[in-house]
Amino acid sequence: MSLEKAYLLLSVALFLIGLLGVMIRKNLVTILISTELMLNGINLAFATADKVLGGVEGQIFAFFVLTVAAAEVAVGLGLVVAIFRLKGYEGSSELTHMRDR
Amino acid sequence: MEWVVFTVLAVWLLVSAGGVLFAKHPVHVVLFFLSALLAMAALFLSLGAELLAGIQLLIYAAAIVVFYVLVITTVPWEKLKEFEGAYRRELLFGLPVALMAFGAFAYLIAKGEFAAPKGQVTDAVRELAKTLFTSYLFPFEVASLILLVAMIGAILLGRREG
Repeated sequence: MSLEKAYLLLSVALFLIGLLGVMIRKNLVTILISTELMLNGINLAFATADKVLGGVEGQIFAFFVLTVAAAEVAVGLGLVVAIFRLKGYEGSSELTHMRDR
Repeated sequence: MEWVVFTVLAVWLLVSAGGVLFAKHPVHVVLFFLSALLAMAALFLSLGAELLAGIQLLIYAAAIVVFYVLVITTVPWEKLKEFEGAYRRELLFGLPVALMAFGAFAYLIAKGEFAAPKGQVTDAVRELAKTLFTSYLFPFEVASLILLVAMIGAILLGRREG
């Protein structure tokens, strides 16, 4: 197995760890951090593709992913603070206002 | 030599990611996340993406981590002890799904062939700047608009009502 395939495997592992974190963590802040891990895994895959193909487009898309990550952090943490101030809790199991029941 | 560097960085990254997954206190989670980001920057350096490594350090390891710590300090965590850690039942069901997905990806990656390289980049930063400011100029401008909209949204969300 070549080194580039090992890099791709590592990026997939990081993405799945982030996905698992989104599924199992109780706290809203840690859920947001897990999404950051997923975005980082994607960036690693982009950089690896650049090394394999000998271009720079992957890094450019990684920059756009970084931009979206920064925007997501600003809005997501604003939402967390707003939820805590209005409702007084931080657990993901308590956020059931949009559920139909 | 490349394999040694990769193995060290990969173990560092996976241990930090596991810490993000299983650490109890949110501050510990942020510290593990910071460690994972430093490992990612080193991986970018080993891949020859120097500018990406620098931006990773500047934006992620400085700005975003500081933002997380700032939000954690504004929330009184002592009252919220029951929302630390992970759900047991979701872990029981989610872990096999993640492992199966990893197995499928690993099979595809191990069996697959890479596309043929389209060229050789000698100076990655120069080439990247040239491409970003010519072919990708419009997405670059749209990215600035996204940041502006996110800033306005964050201000609106954080505003006190009335």
